[in-house]
Amino acid sequence: MTLGTQRRVHPLTHLTGAASSAVRPVLESARAPARVLAAVSMGVYLEVRTELEPSVIALITGEATRLPNSVLLAGELPHVSVGDEAAVGDGVIELGRYRVKARRWWDPSPALPSVDLVRLAQATSALSPQTTRRPGLEGNAAITLLASGCAAGSLLRAVTAAEQLVGLGPGLTPSGDDVLAGLLVALRHLGSAAKVERAVWLADWLAAAVTFDAGTRTTPISATLLHCAARGEASPEVSAVLRGITGQQALEPALRRLLQLGHTSGADLAQGVRIGLDSVLALGARP
Amino acid sequence: MNSLVKVVQGVYHDSVSLMRVSQALSALQGVEVAVVAMATPLNLDLARDLGFEIPPAEPSELLVALRAEDVTAATGELERLLGELSSRSVATESAGFPPRTTRSAARLGEGNLVLVSVPGEHAFGEALDAVEAGLPVMIFSDNVPVEQEVLLKRLAEERGGLVMGPDCGTAVIGGAGLGFANVLRPGPVGVVAASGTGAQQVTSLLDLAGVGVSQVLGVGSRDLSEQVGGVSAMRALRLLDEDPATELIVLISKPPAPEVAGAVREVVDKLRTPVVTALLGTSDGDLTSATAQVLDRLGRPVPDWLSWSRPVAKGSVRGLYSGGTLCTEASLITPGGFVDYGDDVFTRGRAHPMIDATLRLEALAKLEPGEVALMDVVLGHGADPDPALRLAPAIEAATRGDVQVVIALVGTEGDPQGLRRQAEALHQAGASVFTSNAQAARHAAGSAR
Amino acid sequence: MTLLPADPHVITVGADLLGEALDAQAVPRTPVEWRPPLRGTAAALARVLADPRRSAANELAVGRLLSARPQLVGVRPAADALGLERGTFLHAGPPITWERASGPMRGALIGAVLLEDMAATEEEARRLLAGGRVRLDPCHHHGAVGPMAGVVSPSMWMFEVRDAEHGGTAYCSLNEGLGKVLRYGAYGPEVLERLRWMGSVLGPSLRDALRVTGPIDLRGLIAQALQMGDELHNRNRAATSLFLRELAPALVEAAPAHAAQVLRFAGGNDHFFLNPAMAAAKVSTDAARGVPGSSLVVAMARNGTDFGVQLSGLGDRWFTGPAGVPDGLYLGAYGPADANPDIGDSTITETSGLGGFAMAAAPAIVKFVGGEVGDAITATRSMYEITLAEHPAYQIPGLGFRGTPVGIDVALVARTGLLPVVNTGIAGRVAGTGQVGAGLVSPPAEAFIAALNALAFDK
Repeated sequence: MTLGTQRRVHPLTHLTGAASSAVRPVLESARAPARVLAAVSMGVYLEVRTELEPSVIALITGEATRLPNSVLLAGELPHVSVGDEAAVGDGVIELGRYRVKARRWWDPSPALPSVDLVRLAQATSALSPQTTRRPGLEGNAAITLLASGCAAGSLLRAVTAAEQLVGLGPGLTPSGDDVLAGLLVALRHLGSAAKVERAVWLADWLAAAVTFDAGTRTTPISATLLHCAARGEASPEVSAVLRGITGQQALEPALRRLLQLGHTSGADLAQGVRIGLDSVLALGARP
Repeated sequence: MNSLVKVVQGVYHDSVSLMRVSQALSALQGVEVAVVAMATPLNLDLARDLGFEIPPAEPSELLVALRAEDVTAATGELERLLGELSSRSVATESAGFPPRTTRSAARLGEGNLVLVSVPGEHAFGEALDAVEAGLPVMIFSDNVPVEQEVLLKRLAEERGGLVMGPDCGTAVIGGAGLGFANVLRPGPVGVVAASGTGAQQVTSLLDLAGVGVSQVLGVGSRDLSEQVGGVSAMRALRLLDEDPATELIVLISKPPAPEVAGAVREVVDKLRTPVVTALLGTSDGDLTSATAQVLDRLGRPVPDWLSWSRPVAKGSVRGLYSGGTLCTEASLITPGGFVDYGDDVFTRGRAHPMIDATLRLEALAKLEPGEVALMDVVLGHGADPDPALRLAPAIEAATRGDVQVVIALVGTEGDPQGLRRQAEALHQAGASVFTSNAQAARHAAGSAR
Repeated sequence: MTLLPADPHVITVGADLLGEALDAQAVPRTPVEWRPPLRGTAAALARVLADPRRSAANELAVGRLLSARPQLVGVRPAADALGLERGTFLHAGPPITWERASGPMRGALIGAVLLEDMAATEEEARRLLAGGRVRLDPCHHHGAVGPMAGVVSPSMWMFEVRDAEHGGTAYCSLNEGLGKVLRYGAYGPEVLERLRWMGSVLGPSLRDALRVTGPIDLRGLIAQALQMGDELHNRNRAATSLFLRELAPALVEAAPAHAAQVLRFAGGNDHFFLNPAMAAAKVSTDAARGVPGSSLVVAMARNGTDFGVQLSGLGDRWFTGPAGVPDGLYLGAYGPADANPDIGDSTITETSGLGGFAMAAAPAIVKFVGGEVGDAITATRSMYEITLAEHPAYQIPGLGFRGTPVGIDVALVARTGLLPVVNTGIAGRVAGTGQVGAGLVSPPAEAFIAALNALAFDK
C-alpha cells in the first residue's frame, strides 16, 4: 500500500458521469478528505471521512455492477493506487489530477406499482434456485433460520440469523451481506407495493439491527452497501428484478443479468430477494 | 486579404459540428471570415452575401469559403479540424459497418430510445423507423412539416409508442437528458410539456426547491394545436399515470387550441395521479406560479426564487428570447416588443440561439438608449457551454449605451455551466438576473411603468 | 411493461453535440452515421415513407421473395417454352434498339440471326437487324433472364425453374462456357457450332436426365454452395459441382451415348450453374412483383447501354440510367479501354440477395474482383443497410451464418446513398471480342432516384 505518492504536476482532467442520488448528500456536503480503498479494473472505491452514508463511493465504468453508491463514469477510470488521497464535497470528487462531476442522477430506489399477492406469487417459480449459479451459502443453517424467521414475522429469529450472516463469507462483499441486502430491499419495496405492513416493519427493524455494527463486522464497502440496502437502495440489476416481479418488465432476462454479477454476489442477492418475496407472501397471507 | 472558395465532395458533417469548425477558424488571427458548411441553397446564399463568388454546388457537398491574410495557414487549420471530425467517424466504422439509418441501428437490439436531430426535412424517415421498431422517439429537429408530425403521432398511438417533439427540444427519461435539458435530481414530479423552455423553467425551479422529476416528456410545441390535437400529450399523460415513480404530473403548454385544451383536460380528469396544469394564455397563471402549486401539492415550502437584482429605470421593454414559451410567458406579463429567436424562421439553416447567440447579440447591440432588454439564458445539456462568455461583454456594452438588461436565467447548479457562476458573471456585467422568468418580466415591466 | 426505459440506451441520429451531451452523462448510445439522402429524393422519400400501404406491402413482397422455393423442372427450346416466334429475339436488360445497342449486344444479335438461318452472312444479318425487320424484346418481359447480352432465339434451349411455393415459372438459357461465346458478343463459326451442339445434344440430354431425377431443389443447392465459397454470380464452382453430382447418374441412364460429352462440357465450365441460379433468382423475385405501394426492387438488369430497375409496386416499368464501366481485373492484355459498359440480366442474383450481396461468402474471388477479404465482408455488411430482410436459407458462414441481405428497398437506397454492390463479368466493347475481365460495378443512382420519384408521384 502506498500512501500520498508524490506525483508530477499534471493539468486537471475533468470527468463526468451518472451518479446515484444516494451519494448526493455526501457529494454536496462541505469538502471532506477521502482515500482510495481499492482500485480494480472496473472500479475505484473511495472511503470518505464523513458521518453520512454511503461513506464509501464507487467510481465505475459501464462494464461494472452499478452499485447503489456508485458514480458511473463516461470515460475511462482514473489511474490511481490504493491509499491515494482524495477529497469529496462541494459537488465534486477530487482524485489526484482528476475532477469528477455528475451530469446525471439516477435513483437507486426502485419505484414499484401497487401489486396484489396473486401477482407476486406468480414470480416465485421464476426465482426458484438456478442450477448454474449457486449462492455462496446454500444450505447454511443461518440462511434457513433467516428465511423461516422472516416468513413467520419473528424479529427475534430474523435478527439472530442476520447477526450470524453479517460479514460471513470471502471477498469484498461477503455472501452473508449480499443475502441480507437482497432481503432488505425486497422486504421494503415488495412489502410496500403489496401493502403488507408487517414486511415493511420487519425491514425497518432488521435494517436497524444489521447496520448497527456493520462497520466493525464486515468490510467497509460491504458495510456501506448494507446501509444502502437498509434504506431500500439497490443496484439497477436488483431493481430490475423487483420491477420484473411486479410486472413492470420481463423478469427472466433481468434475473439472468443479476445472476451473472460477481462470483456469487448475484446469486446471493437473488437468494435474498427470494427470501424477501416468500416472506411478503407469507406475511400477507396472515389474517 | 485573400479569398479561398472550394467545394469538397464526399464529406458530410452535421451543421452544428461545422458551425464549431467555422467559429474556430474565424477566431484565428488574420482570418476575417470563414464559412464551412454543407452547400445547401441557404448556405450558398449566406456565402454570396459575404461577398464570395460561389461556384454551383450540391447540398451533399461541403462548401469552404475563407477570407484571410494567410489562406494557407487557415486551410491547414481547417484540414486539422475536419480531420478531427472524421476520425470520430472512423472510430465507429472500425467496429463493423456503422448503421446508416435508425432502422438499422434499432436492429442491433440495444437501443431503447431514439433521439433524432437531423435537419427537419429529413427527420420523418428516422422517426418513422423508431416508431416502426416500437421505440419511443424524441425529435429534436425543428422545421418538421406538421402533416408529418401528425402522421408519426397517429402511428405511434396505434402501435402504443410515443413521439416526443418536434421543435421542443427537451426530455429527461430514466434520468438521461435528451436535447436541451437540465441536470435534475430524480423525484416524484412527471412533466408533460408542449414547450421546451417551459419544461426547463418549471423543472429548474423545482430543482432549486430541492424537488426532482421522474420523467420529463417534451411532446412538441405544436402538440396542443388544432392540427395535432394533443395526441402525444394525452399519450404521455397516460404513460406517466402508469409510472410508479410519478406522484404528481405537471402539464405545460404555450397557449393551446381551446378545443384541444378541453380534450386534454378531460383526459387529465380521468387520471389517478393528480395533475397541475400550466397552459399559458388560459386561467392557469404563469410557470412560476404553477411551480409553486406543485410544491404546495407535495407539501413542500415555496422558496424565494434566487435572483441577483439591480434597480432599473423606466424604458420600453424589448424581449430578445431564445425560448418560445418563455417569450410568450413574458409577453403575457409585460407589454413590449418580443422576438423569439428560437422560432423556425430564425433557425432554418443555422444553430439554435441557445447554442449560438449571434443574432440576439446583434439585436441587443441595436437597442436604443433607455430601452430595457429582457432576455432568457437557458443552461443545461446541449446549450452553449459558457453563455456568459459572449453575453457579459455585450451586456457591458449595452449598459454603457444606457440600455438596461434583465435576464431570466433558467438552469440548475448541477448544469455543466453552473447556475451561480453564470448568474454572477451576468450580474457583474450589469444585468439583473432572475431564476424565474415571470419575476424577470415583472421586474422589467415595473421599470416600464 | 413500461415504454419508458429505466436504463436508457439511446440511438442518436443527427448533431454530434447532442450525442456528446449523452456521453458526458454516461448514457450508452448507438450513433447512426447519417448522411443526407440522394440528390432529388427528399420530397419523394417523405411521400413514399408516409404511404400507409408501404410497411405491409414491403413485408408481403419481401416475404414472398424469401419463401420462394425454386426447383429446376425441365429443359426446353425457347420456341416451345416461351412461345418465341421466328424473328423475335430476346435480350438482357431494359428495352433497347439496334441503334443504341453496344458492341457485344450487336454481336450476340448477329450471332443469333445467323443461328436461326435468317441471314447467311454477318453483313446480311446487320442489314436485317438495322432494318428493324426483327423484333427485340427484353428477356424480363417473358419471365426469362440471360447473362451478358442475354440474347435468346427460338431454337435455343432454356432451363425451366418453377417456384414450388407460389407457382411461378422462370427461364434462363444454357451456359456456353468461357472464351469466345455468344453472350459476350462473339459470333464466329465455332460459336455457332457450339450453339448448334447445345441445341441438338446438350439440351435434349439434360431434359432426359431431369426426367429421371425429377425436380431439383435449387434453394437447397444454392444454400449449400454459399457455404462452400460461392456467391452464385462470379463464382459458381461449388454449385456447378453439386449440380453435376445430382445430374451425373441420371445422365448416364437417360442419355448414355452423350453422357460423357455433356458431363465433360458442363464440368469444364465453372459457371455452368450461373444460369439455373439466375432462373432461380428470377422466379423468386417475380413472386414479389405487383404489390401496390411496395418499394422493393424486383429486377436490376443492364443491356450494355442502360442499367434498369423495376419495383414491385410499379408493374413492368423500367427506370434507367447509363450503365457504368466495371472496375476490376482484366484478362491478358485487355484494359479498361477495351471494356463495354455493364451488361446482362445476371444482376438478378444481387436482386435476390446473392452475388455482390453475398460477397462475404466467397473470399476466394475477392482478389478477382479487385479487393481484400475485408472488402468482401464490408460489401455484404453494407448491403444490410439497404435491404428489408435476411435470407432464412441463404447463409454466410463467415458472418456467423447470418442470412444474406435480401430485398433491396429503393427508399433505403435513397436514404443511405448506398448503391447495390454488383459483381460482374466484363465484355469487350467490340462485337465478337468476348470476355475481357471481371469486377465490381456501381449502378447509376439516377435509376433508383427515378424509380422512387415515380413511386411517390405517379398515379
